[in-house]
Amino acid sequence: MNLSDEQVLAMAPDESSRKSGKDLANPAKWVSKGVSESALWGECQGSGSKPYQTQIDTGNMAFKCSCPSRKFPCKHGLGLLLLYSRQPASFTETTPPSWVSEWLSKRAEKEEKKNTTATAAEKQPDTGAQAKRQQARMQKVSDGTAELLRWMKDLVRNGIMDLPEKDPSFFENMIRRMIDAQAPGLAGMMRELADISYFHEGWQSAFMNQLVRIYLVIQGYQHLSALPPALQQDIRTLTGFSTSQEELKEQTGVADTWQVLGKQTTEEDRLVVERYWLHGVHTKRPALILQFYVRGQSTISNALTPGSAINAELVFYPSAAPLRALIKQQVTVPPNHSFSGYAGWQEVVSAQTNISEVLPVYNDQVYTIADLTPIWHAEQWWLQDSRQQLMPVKKTFQHIWKLLALSGGSPLHMAVTGKETLYEPIGVWHEQEYKIL
Amino acid sequence: MEHWNQLINTALLGTAKKPAGSAGMSGPLLQAADTILAQADTDKEDKFLQLAAVLYNYRQSGTQPITANVAPMKVCPPETKAYCKPAAIRVLHQVLETESIQLLQLWLEYCVKANVLVPPAQLPVILDKGWRNKSLRALVAATGGQRAAWLGHFNPDWNFSRVAYTIEDRWQNGATAQRVEALKELRVADPVMARTWLEQSWPRESVTVKTELLSVLEHPADPADIPWLESLLTEKSKQVKETATRILKKLPGSSLHEKYWQIIAGAIQLDKYGQVTVALPEITDESIFQSGIERFSSDKTVTDDTHVLYQLISSVHPSRWEGHFHRDTERVIALFQQQESLKPFIPALVLAIAWFEDKERALSFMQHSETFYIDIIPLLPAAQQQEFGEKFFDEHPDAIIEYACKHQEEWSLQLCTRIFKYAATQPYTYNQQFMNNHIRLIPVSIAATLDSITPVEAYHTGYWNNIKVHLGRLLQAKSQVQSL
Repeated sequence: MNLSDEQVLAMAPDESSRKSGKDLANPAKWVSKGVSESALWGECQGSGSKPYQTQIDTGNMAFKCSCPSRKFPCKHGLGLLLLYSRQPASFTETTPPSWVSEWLSKRAEKEEKKNTTATAAEKQPDTGAQAKRQQARMQKVSDGTAELLRWMKDLVRNGIMDLPEKDPSFFENMIRRMIDAQAPGLAGMMRELADISYFHEGWQSAFMNQLVRIYLVIQGYQHLSALPPALQQDIRTLTGFSTSQEELKEQTGVADTWQVLGKQTTEEDRLVVERYWLHGVHTKRPALILQFYVRGQSTISNALTPGSAINAELVFYPSAAPLRALIKQQVTVPPNHSFSGYAGWQEVVSAQTNISEVLPVYNDQVYTIADLTPIWHAEQWWLQDSRQQLMPVKKTFQHIWKLLALSGGSPLHMAVTGKETLYEPIGVWHEQEYKIL
Repeated sequence: MEHWNQLINTALLGTAKKPAGSAGMSGPLLQAADTILAQADTDKEDKFLQLAAVLYNYRQSGTQPITANVAPMKVCPPETKAYCKPAAIRVLHQVLETESIQLLQLWLEYCVKANVLVPPAQLPVILDKGWRNKSLRALVAATGGQRAAWLGHFNPDWNFSRVAYTIEDRWQNGATAQRVEALKELRVADPVMARTWLEQSWPRESVTVKTELLSVLEHPADPADIPWLESLLTEKSKQVKETATRILKKLPGSSLHEKYWQIIAGAIQLDKYGQVTVALPEITDESIFQSGIERFSSDKTVTDDTHVLYQLISSVHPSRWEGHFHRDTERVIALFQQQESLKPFIPALVLAIAWFEDKERALSFMQHSETFYIDIIPLLPAAQQQEFGEKFFDEHPDAIIEYACKHQEEWSLQLCTRIFKYAATQPYTYNQQFMNNHIRLIPVSIAATLDSITPVEAYHTGYWNNIKVHLGRLLQAKSQVQSL
């Protein structure tokens, strides 16, 4: 295990954990610490009389700590890992103490149990009641979409010129209505509509983009049976119907060595959304792992480390253009720095056309592209491919100087996220190594 | 994009005023639009939204990269030095977390000494630190390599780093900070050559740069500079004139210094009975007052004449008294201490010793004075500075800390302990920022005794404990830098 500061800190659930983790990456804070082939552990003197016992399963990158924090990983886990990444020599290689080995064996047992008892008898659901509930929900969503469509048509009839002056309740009421209608997906899309910066130039286009996307989902939902089965799943997901993760896990996944290209975190109303972008080394396909948790109450069991690689079986959510996946099994493996990807922007846009053909309401994708050079042109930054074709970099991209420093004017293989004409680099292959930005 | 813009125009006005249309469309897009617009049982709003959906999909399915005629980017030249090792980068992360510029300076000094460069990924952070802290610029330039200089072309804030290997190269082609450093180095090695370089480039320099470069001649001040410095008193810039005057005041052979001395020599006389008389004659030369000497005393207990004389004595070289009284240093000091008329001017004599950085007389003064004069401390040898600092700490704690902060070498453990014991009683003054700014002087070995240093007042405990935690981090990072 050889992690950089950036990789460890990228695992932090929030800024305060990142800061506290850094403070705890200090040998003086740890009463004892040790490392074995599969684990890292330490006892940290906190405010209580007994030190907190922090343990990390380095094989699957899982954390456990006796502290009361509900964050995941907690500051102790981050501090310990950071300390190890900075001063590995200060850790004695030894047999794990009982509190670590017990946890490790429990984890192994649990994993085994999960694999062998998947077929165990479960309580049979009342299918009749389930169908009735499903029917009632479909009706509620249908009523909700009809109301949302009316609202949209009123808006279009009267014009959107006055939108910047509208009271926040203009959107809020309809968002709440979508929640009531059990269409949280549409509520989320409406939230994105409400969050557009109406005082920035170009808000009109951003607004129309999102309005059309909502319209497409409504139309899709209202004509669901006429759509291809895979697209039906996308529309259901976008409306807000969830897919059973347990059922998904029953399916056979795609096994590969997956490079964790990057992580993007967004937060809305205390709900933290973590997007992990993956790339299959052999399958050469992208994947998106989404993790949701309420800020400060993370219960995620496995953390992915940006810049690392995992051997994992991924099950993709049903979709006309499958991207989102869940991890069925994973084992952290040494970083894989091999590159495979598109030769240039032309191939990227062709791939997007293919997605757009089957899924008109697709979201940001991840692409690995060869030989891109950041260049300054017409008062903004662009990424130029080997055929001198350009795509703009998102104006909000924060690491342009790091990217430029790594490039030095020479092309780099790059991992970017985005769609259409806006992209954000998340990592580069620099000197035969993948580096997150 | 044009169709999309038309659609937005319709959206802005509203379909009630401007229904959706197919103007400007052609081919399959026109076909689709016509089909939508021809629907009899669909209202205007639905038609608009359907058309918008088609255009949206048309646009996103046909997105193309831009092919523009962009001048090729200048590629950064390859580096000739190696990058620092990953272990050094890990230490750098720790250093940056402390936000101590002095620690970063220590880390950069390590890179200079090891002849290695900052790797590209870390350069933006380091360049930004250099931009915010002038004191780091020369070091950043020395460790940034070609890549830092190249980045400076894109970010004007970072344009202080140009690759230059020799002093002459840095002087000719470097950014201001690099030129100042080059001139400083040369000034120590060859003062005359340093002035010659400056004289040659003088007409081409801007006023700000002139002031910055001229200040270099102050350390050490050289009597050979006097004619050129006096010629600068006619410069237009007030800043330049002030700087030249300040340096001239440090040069005993300068006209100004001689004018000062003439007045003093006329005012203070030793008679044949060994008595000193003090009587200031009327000063008619206005240039004396224009040079910064105050005419009037602001203290009612001090006469204007005494005030003027005090200032003049503190501005002339102390060696002059030996010739004037025909006595050696020790006896001059004794005369000042014994003669009632001279006693008020002892502090002025101390100030003169400090102003002219007269180390020899500073030592004599300390040996023959019963009173401790804090201003003399910086002129003493390093070991004695620490010794006197400890000895007189309780009498002048703040002043001794102030001078201790100017030390070139680390504080002794004893002095550091005294300083921290006092700092614990004044945690709002000697706070985390103070520790950040002076970590270079704080010995790592103090970490072992930090726990025993506690404030007197209970209400300072929390604040002091936070400072100690921060100090612990600084010391740990410092020890890591030292172990590289």
